Amino acid sequence: MKNTILCLLCLSFVACQKEFLDKKPIVGITEENFYRTEADAIAAVNAAYATLQFQLSPAGHFRWFWGDIMSDDTDKGGSGDNDAANLLQLETFKGPTNTDLLESEWSANFEGIYRANVVLEKVPAIEMDPKLKARILGEAKVIRAWNFYNLVTMFGGVPFVDHVLAPSEYNLPRVSADQIWDLVERDLVEASADLWKRSDYTEADLGRITLGTAQSLLVKTYLWRKKWAEAKATAEKIVTSNEYQLVPNYADIFTLDGENNIESVFEIQYMNASGGNWGKNNANEGSFTNVFQRARGQFAGFGFNIPTQNFVDEFFKEGFEDPRLKSTVFRIGDPMGDRGIFTIAATGDLPFKYYTKKYFNNKSEDAPFGDPSPNGGSNDRVIRFSDVLLMHAEAAFQTGDETSAKTSLNKVRARVGIPDVTATGPELLEAIYRERRIELGLEAHRFFDLVRTGKAPQVLNSQGFKSGTHEVFPIPQSQILATGGILLQNPGY
Amino acid sequence: MDKNSKKFTAMRLHLSFLFSLLVFAATAQIKITGHISIAPDNESAIGATVAVKGISSGAITDVDGNFSIQVPDRKAILVFSYTGYTTQEQEVGDRNVFTIMLAEDASQLNEVIVTGYGTEKRSNISGSVSTVSAEEIAERPILRVEQALQGRTAGVQVAQNSGSPGSTLSVRIRGVGTINNADPLYIVDGIPVDGLDFLNPNDIENINVLKDAASAAIYGSRGANGVVLITTKGGKRNQEGRISYESYYGVQRAGRLLDLLDAREYATLQNEAYIAAGKTPLPEFANPEYLGKGTDWQEAIFQKAPIASHQLTFSGGSERSAYTVSGNYFSQDGIVGGGKANFQRATVRVNGVHDVKKWLTIGNNLGFTWLKRDGLTENSQYNSPLIRALNMDPITPIRKADGSFAYSNYSSTDIANPVNGIEQTHSTWRSNRLVGSVYGELKLAKGLTFRSALSIDATFATQRSFNPKYDLSNIPSLSEAPAAEKALVNSVGIGNNTWRNWQAENVLTWQKNFNEKHDLTLIAGTTALANRFDASGGSNTNLPSNDPKDAYIGNTIDPIASQSAYQWANESSLFSYFSKINYGFNNTYLFSATFRADGSSRFGKNNRFGYFPSASVGWIVSHEDFWKVKAISFFKIRASWGQNGNDRIGDYSFTTVVNNGQNYTFGNGEIITNGAVSLTSANPDLKWETSTQTDIGLDLELFDGRLNFTTDYYVKKTSDMLFAAPIPLIAGTAAPVQNVATAENRGLELALGYRNAYRAFKYTIGGNIAFVESKVTGLGRGGEPVLSGFVQSANANAAKTDVGQPIASFFGYVTDGVFQNQSEIEAAAFHSTGTVPGDIRFKDLDGNGLIDANDRAYIGNPTPRFTYGINADFEWRNLTVNLFFQGTQGNDVYVNTTRFDFSYVNRPSSALNRWTGEGTSNSEPRVSLTDPNQNARVSDRFVEDGSYLRLKNLQVGYTLPRTWIKKMNFQKFKVYITGQNLLTVTKYSGLDPEIGNIGGSLEIGIDRGFYPQARTIMGGLSLTF
Repeated sequence: MKNTILCLLCLSFVACQKEFLDKKPIVGITEENFYRTEADAIAAVNAAYATLQFQLSPAGHFRWFWGDIMSDDTDKGGSGDNDAANLLQLETFKGPTNTDLLESEWSANFEGIYRANVVLEKVPAIEMDPKLKARILGEAKVIRAWNFYNLVTMFGGVPFVDHVLAPSEYNLPRVSADQIWDLVERDLVEASADLWKRSDYTEADLGRITLGTAQSLLVKTYLWRKKWAEAKATAEKIVTSNEYQLVPNYADIFTLDGENNIESVFEIQYMNASGGNWGKNNANEGSFTNVFQRARGQFAGFGFNIPTQNFVDEFFKEGFEDPRLKSTVFRIGDPMGDRGIFTIAATGDLPFKYYTKKYFNNKSEDAPFGDPSPNGGSNDRVIRFSDVLLMHAEAAFQTGDETSAKTSLNKVRARVGIPDVTATGPELLEAIYRERRIELGLEAHRFFDLVRTGKAPQVLNSQGFKSGTHEVFPIPQSQILATGGILLQNPGY
Repeated sequence: MDKNSKKFTAMRLHLSFLFSLLVFAATAQIKITGHISIAPDNESAIGATVAVKGISSGAITDVDGNFSIQVPDRKAILVFSYTGYTTQEQEVGDRNVFTIMLAEDASQLNEVIVTGYGTEKRSNISGSVSTVSAEEIAERPILRVEQALQGRTAGVQVAQNSGSPGSTLSVRIRGVGTINNADPLYIVDGIPVDGLDFLNPNDIENINVLKDAASAAIYGSRGANGVVLITTKGGKRNQEGRISYESYYGVQRAGRLLDLLDAREYATLQNEAYIAAGKTPLPEFANPEYLGKGTDWQEAIFQKAPIASHQLTFSGGSERSAYTVSGNYFSQDGIVGGGKANFQRATVRVNGVHDVKKWLTIGNNLGFTWLKRDGLTENSQYNSPLIRALNMDPITPIRKADGSFAYSNYSSTDIANPVNGIEQTHSTWRSNRLVGSVYGELKLAKGLTFRSALSIDATFATQRSFNPKYDLSNIPSLSEAPAAEKALVNSVGIGNNTWRNWQAENVLTWQKNFNEKHDLTLIAGTTALANRFDASGGSNTNLPSNDPKDAYIGNTIDPIASQSAYQWANESSLFSYFSKINYGFNNTYLFSATFRADGSSRFGKNNRFGYFPSASVGWIVSHEDFWKVKAISFFKIRASWGQNGNDRIGDYSFTTVVNNGQNYTFGNGEIITNGAVSLTSANPDLKWETSTQTDIGLDLELFDGRLNFTTDYYVKKTSDMLFAAPIPLIAGTAAPVQNVATAENRGLELALGYRNAYRAFKYTIGGNIAFVESKVTGLGRGGEPVLSGFVQSANANAAKTDVGQPIASFFGYVTDGVFQNQSEIEAAAFHSTGTVPGDIRFKDLDGNGLIDANDRAYIGNPTPRFTYGINADFEWRNLTVNLFFQGTQGNDVYVNTTRFDFSYVNRPSSALNRWTGEGTSNSEPRVSLTDPNQNARVSDRFVEDGSYLRLKNLQVGYTLPRTWIKKMNFQKFKVYITGQNLLTVTKYSGLDPEIGNIGGSLEIGIDRGFYPQARTIMGGLSLTF
């Protein structure tokens, strides 16, 4: 009997051991009990979208920092050389490797990748409408591709993070830029199969990534990879889809009414609600671009991203003032919306003759409550249909189809009422490049276009650009240290 | 054979076995009588045991020392024993009457030590275990169990976390080995418990502290901070029933008060401060002399406070069972706050053990505790009564002419009238807790026992708080008093907490002696343990009545919408296998090894089970034939090694919650749409913290056990310490806690005891000392130092834990006197544009010509270099005197008792030595309303030596002579007077140098207005009949 008792006692505890030790949080949503419903899937992908808005993580990492200031289009600006001194260092290609500006860029993109990876790992198991599920997975793939696109164009090859990393995997080394490009291309191709057309979305979903977004990013990717035929074919799919048109009036594009218009292919959404929050704040829906680029003094901005004379001069190269200039740049004497006339005195006596106009917001458009100054509502126009047309023109030219190239190029020119380009051969290509500089001016394309087309060493020579080094930025030093040197620095830094 | 008939057969077997025993006993009937007395006075021994060797039956002596026993035959050997005296054995032979005198046993070697899942004789232990006996507890009325360990056990550092009644103590065994939870594991009668506040010290039989890893390793993932095993008093078998009553009553007073500025001095310095800041002094301070001494706020908050305890115990036992039933009531008021800091505890304990069958013993240890604690804000640099009393200006009276409380015209926030603050505090914690176990022990075969215990620890506690309405304004309609001096809306809150823990434990023990030479003990067992915590509560504002009696949420009139409610629950579980082998050869060579496997719900799924091995060896050199040193009667060398874990890593640290609010805007109307993701990554690899400890020790007894000496040296290395070290950003999430940090403790412990007697004068002198050095050796790659010890007056952290440094070392600027004139300022590194003569000069440690954050250094260590205790017990006839000293040496205290961030606060009178002109002071800076030089920044100015030696306890007792009390049927009647904390020797300038850690392992030795321990005088009596 004693033995029976003994055995029973022992057995009773050994038997139920596994469940006994498996304790999940009782209160609070954990990963284990989230990701069960359609609503969870949508919330998951929304969180990935939220990273697109990150501009301070915690230092500034605006797309126009890299695309415009690093190029010949704009200078840093600000209150003086010491205002964001690291940015000036980067602009003059004396870039420090330990700046939090680069670290923030690095961090924001990997945060987006992590959140997209969460969606790609968790959503497939959710029982829900298959069409919606496919779309959500497509959105996540484009967000992942977009972040890797940013990283590969900024830094070259980076760690290959195609899944949610376990703590034991945090020390991944870099892979080649080509491997990252392959991932970007694969994600975009796959997303193109599942994503909805813009017209398939309801009004409430305006601003979501569409088939057109995926395809246009894919065209950009193909251009970087010099896959001209694929680029041309994909661009043509966008054009023939009839989902997108050029808006008649160029000046309308950058108004609040012009947000998510018929020309918009990829636009990061912002609104002027919520109080001013400096630092990476996930609840903040506002953009800091407005206040950063607005003139100082009575305009209550910080006066960054000052257009250069060289950039303004480009608008006069055809013997007339390109009509797009007045929608791109403020010149002395111009009214700055409802904030007053631009004079040197009104900007706090800073020596700048030009300010950017595309992301200017009126005082009446400031947040209606809270601390309005940091929060602008202007959406970030990442890819417009005119960009798609110009990419198509470039791809067509490279495949030898100058006719198609000119057709697309001249569609863009015709919108603003300037004469068709008739040049052929290398001159046509130059004309396409020049059209990109003007049409897409101050939209954060220029530096990357210069690097992509190989023109950076020549154009940016006077800024200190050295071929073979400055095509990419340095890997943030903090990350090299955090991995104990497993991440290797880019050559020349 | 079916199951029932099998059972029946087994029962029959047992019955026949029992029967044969009875027959055996019945056939042998020789009656032996006698008397037992004890040396040196030949006093009758009451309750001494007489047993027949090899037979469990026995007898005990009556109140006159007489006994009577039946023995089977003339060859039987009688064993006479009495606690504290040497056991004697005699063969019956042809005698029928025995007169025995037992000699006092000076040696502690035969003491039975409770170790994990068993007991061992002290002489045979090869690990490092310290013991506190009931006797030692009895000679010093302690209020909380942890106090019994303070100064008694080498290597156990105990410090009061507050002097307020019912407050906790910090117990650190062999130093702080982790930056996380460093509390030891407490096991009461085999039940793991959280905190000891429920336990009545009078119920304790003994406390054993498992210090080295080998001893603690049987507790596996919970043993890294050491294990404290507490056994409560059970009845003794064969003991006549006893009733004892113990009681004491005492009065507590504040030890010392600080010398602060009086009203005249305060006004004088305020005037100077205004002038220094370029402002016109306040008109009311124009003639400081007229202001007199003003208010002494310390006097205002400190008071005499009573303390009392009553204990009634019934105990006794027959041959086959024993019991103890006790009840205790304890009440203590605070020296600050009086009844507003009252602590009361009522306990009932029922312990019993019964032999149901020859092969089955069952027992129970059940304790129920009700306790109530009224809490004031303590040890807060913001708004505790203490910090307010030390900082409140002496100008403001306690009360206005109309008797209502006054407010200060100079204060704005935090520093408010402390007496009113106490008055307006209504916060009570009530708890009902049942801690108990029932067990059964089966004797399966000779030497083989199986024990199964089921225990629970259930606590139901309620926190009630009420914040009344009040307004100290002179003109209520204007309500002009500062915000801290009024509450225009009252509020009420309640919190209910339940902890429900159960444990089921099965242990198989096999003990055998082979050929008189080999002693073998094998232990194997399993434990299942589950904990669940539930909390819920709510609050609301606006009660029509301002009477605390009406403070219920149901009485509030504010709408439901303004109510708040919360609910929380978490749980954890542990399942373990453990085993132990003890082997002794020839009583000379000792070997012990343990192995435990712990599966815990707290560990990530990749590390569900942790494995903890240990081994120890001992060599009793004095038992060797070659040992000829007569003076040294016992000489043992020990060595041990083991690994332990610390599983206090939070219940769900391996997982991560999904955070909502990761929003994006969609749609034409720009709708903010919720997004959700985990912002911190889960860590499925999460596991316990591991500590690996090596210990070598020596035990000596000299002069027939009169002198004993024990020493241990150990190295304890903690690895896998939990820390959220920064991770590469490619993770895309915040850093999860990981097992990355490491620490190391080394220490030396010495304990010495001497006991002797000269005729009727007996004395015992003992002392122990422990040196310990703890430092962090790694914080993981990229691990930033951990800052702690926030000091509001400097708006900075005063403590830093970094690689190579002792834990929570003070870190700040180094002062270099006071600037005497402008040229000294110019000659020194740049401090600030506002620096003027009279400001503190700081050292430019990095020599860059600028005083900046890089000029900070390690300026103090809050951990003592050594701690020690000394006890001396004297006994002359019926008079006893016990002295107990305890102290620390080499620890620093950071003095953060003056709120320099406010310009109107009072200061210690040392401020009178302030700089007032060239050559006036080189240590105390000028006074000013503003502090552009940041004289109050964290610096060595505020670091003081916190070493102290304290007479913790002095007791004079008198036991009434037996001849007197016998007529009244008393067995024992003792009266005593005890003084606690009567004398403190320290250089520390604050109220109390004994400052524990308040708010975590890294908050050590920072005086934020510490609630000091009381100086207490108590009278007590103890009687048994």
